[in-house]
Amino acid sequence: MSDLQRSFAKAKLAGLPFDPPMPSTDLPDEDEHAEEADYLKPLPDPTQDDDSSSASSASSASSTGTIRPSPSKHLFARPKGYPSLKKSLDPLPWNDYFSQECYWANHRPTESITHHVYFVPPIGKAPLLVMHHGAGSSGLSFALFSLEIRKALPNCGLLSVDARGHGETTVSSLEASPNDGDPDLSLEVLSQDLAEVVGLAKTEMGWVEMPDIVLIGHSLGGAVVADLAVSGRLGKSVLGYAVLDVVEGSAMDALQSMQQYLATRPKTFPSLHSAIEWHTRTRTVRSTMSARISVPSLMRRVPASSNANDDHDETWTWRTELSKTEQYWSNWFNGLSSKFLSANGGKLLILAGTDRLDKELMIGQMQGKYQLQVFPEAGHFVQEDCAEKTAIAVADFVKRNDRAALVLPPKVGQMAEKANGLK
Amino acid sequence: MSDLDKAITELRACRIIPETQIREICHKARELLIEEANVVQVDAPVTICGDIHGQFHDLMELFRVGGDVPDTNYLFMGDFVDRGFYSLESFMLLLCLKVRYPDRITLIRGNHESRQITTVYGFYDECHRKYGSANVWRYCCDVFDYLALGALVLGVGATLEPTEIDPSQGIDPVDDELEVEIIDCNKRVRERHPRRRPRPGLRRDGGGSSPGSSSSPPTKRGGNDNSGGAVLCVHGGLSPLIEFVDKIRLIDRKQEVPHEGSMCDLLWSDPDDIDGWGLSPRGAGFLFGSDIVKRFNHINNLSLIARAHQLVMEGHKEMFDSQIVTVWSAPNYCYRCGNVASILELYEDTSNGGVVQRNNGDVNRNIAAVSNSTPLMQGPARRYRVFEAAPQDPRGMPAKKPVADYFLVKLS
Repeated sequence: MSDLQRSFAKAKLAGLPFDPPMPSTDLPDEDEHAEEADYLKPLPDPTQDDDSSSASSASSASSTGTIRPSPSKHLFARPKGYPSLKKSLDPLPWNDYFSQECYWANHRPTESITHHVYFVPPIGKAPLLVMHHGAGSSGLSFALFSLEIRKALPNCGLLSVDARGHGETTVSSLEASPNDGDPDLSLEVLSQDLAEVVGLAKTEMGWVEMPDIVLIGHSLGGAVVADLAVSGRLGKSVLGYAVLDVVEGSAMDALQSMQQYLATRPKTFPSLHSAIEWHTRTRTVRSTMSARISVPSLMRRVPASSNANDDHDETWTWRTELSKTEQYWSNWFNGLSSKFLSANGGKLLILAGTDRLDKELMIGQMQGKYQLQVFPEAGHFVQEDCAEKTAIAVADFVKRNDRAALVLPPKVGQMAEKANGLK
Repeated sequence: MSDLDKAITELRACRIIPETQIREICHKARELLIEEANVVQVDAPVTICGDIHGQFHDLMELFRVGGDVPDTNYLFMGDFVDRGFYSLESFMLLLCLKVRYPDRITLIRGNHESRQITTVYGFYDECHRKYGSANVWRYCCDVFDYLALGALVLGVGATLEPTEIDPSQGIDPVDDELEVEIIDCNKRVRERHPRRRPRPGLRRDGGGSSPGSSSSPPTKRGGNDNSGGAVLCVHGGLSPLIEFVDKIRLIDRKQEVPHEGSMCDLLWSDPDDIDGWGLSPRGAGFLFGSDIVKRFNHINNLSLIARAHQLVMEGHKEMFDSQIVTVWSAPNYCYRCGNVASILELYEDTSNGGVVQRNNGDVNRNIAAVSNSTPLMQGPARRYRVFEAAPQDPRGMPAKKPVADYFLVKLS
């Protein structure tokens, strides 16, 4: 600082009250309903139920008598993707978030598989974001995220897959299966599936060459994208990869308590409503909006004939029986940290809650090998709970790693030559 | 005994001090720090330290190994807080020492001295846990904004006085001038490197941190061959926007660390084995190569850049023909990384009768003269003291949340 600046700052400092002002940055103790409150803010309803007290404190509108609509406030706007203004638990359709739903057939010597994907083709040379959900989840886990990221990257392509055994992806084995009809969910198979889905997208769309790809995986999906990135199957088209809320060390530690947890989950739900309600009430998915989109795709209707209990008109159960996948659990996460650190391309790790890095990732982070973002207010489903924040972080990451857009400041050498030229 | 001395005594025992006192000390520290330039001038001898990260007991170990304040003159290169369990005690102790002995300790800013980073990596939570409110965190963050961005060490000597060694160690006493000495955790000399004499007309060849024994006969050291190049200390590294040290002086530093720009780069960048500038995988700052460092040091008449910011398992790492060094002072980082730590001691140049040449980085040397044949300025004499983690007091550790609490829903 120059003397002038210093004396100015000093004078200013002397004039300030002794008590420092509140920082303007977001504090982590901010209510997690704030995000939801934002969506609801335009309609301060005096009859609103009591549990919204925290939400209304976040809303300046509720404390003022008159609300004047103004273009900047979008007071009566109903943004696409946020259609509900009341606390509804109705399921929401996929097509507000993706432009296409595709069933791509893939024939292999031992099986034929129909990949179900949600798709938005990239425009021009924009990159394609390939998303893989976690165990027991579905491609719609990325629906809200997809909506948000297109605000930041309007031209980017989006490809969110349903893994085998999940969502609407189906496998029919041409040989006698050793698994008694249950799909092979080993990491190698999932990683190969993902690579082939990207290949199918290229074929279906008639792309001459592969667009730049950014892989994004949540939980198990994080292990899949790290495995795919390190395998090099997608060649040089991979700009980078983002892993959402999974760390090898802590995942391995958690495996032993998984069956116990799964045993406490309801086996069936009387309706989709109740399934959505369960997910939000237990805070498994903290954004009601996202639960309404993603939860229906996790459930399937139990056929009436096998429904012993006739009291209900219908019964819904999980599409994916996670307890049967136990044999793969350690296979999924084994070696994840080292794969994440060693593959080529930009690396982004987004964690929910606190940073629970294992030793390898801690050393890697403090040596500056990857980018780490922590969202304290999010639950495990980061991309659903904090869709906007996750999208902003990923969009910045994509822009930073985008080859076409990469502009470095002029090198000192060039600046020196310029300076010399001026002399 | 003054209140400040009492506070220092309490903090040295790793006990927290009252909120009102923290407010007062932070206010005093701000008044002191505002007087400092963006690039603080520090006279050798000085002991340079890297990241601390709230590892209070290891900071005590550091003082045990390096000597206490005010007996030893210290320069801490930032990252005092976050990740460790005693960020508040560590930072407040350093700040109290700064207020008590302003000329014997220099604190510069690291990338963790920021509101945004501390809310995520532990310091905010720690303050909240210990005081039930965020006030203390706020006082500290206001001090962060006033911390200097770098330091320039002047009057550094080129030769070490060898440490006395036990003959049973099997290390030969040096006849030659001693440039580098590494003292291990047991206070024994682990490595010694005499100064290599460049043959006339030849530039020093690359040898990194382990110069071999020189075959050329030692020449008598005159006042001139140690031109007394300054040592620049910053937390992270260089910025493509900063060609001269003077550019750092132009920054308006009294602000939260920005997401980009020269101030951000100084706190976030890393040296790497690349040519020129590169994208930093951290998402902030840049990577910079050997050519950048050599040019920068030449233009600014620096003999060395000392920086922290990156974990080094051996505690310190010299790169690019010893033109830049990373010093890391948090042993067994985050109580799990298994690394050792070190501090770097620079000594006073007594060869010119204590007269220090004014080479403080604003000498505008002819840029055109920079080329591959430019001889590198010889590095200052450096003594690294390596140390290990202090034994942990388990009582102070917050109870570890059972993983299951959180990971119950991890797979589903």
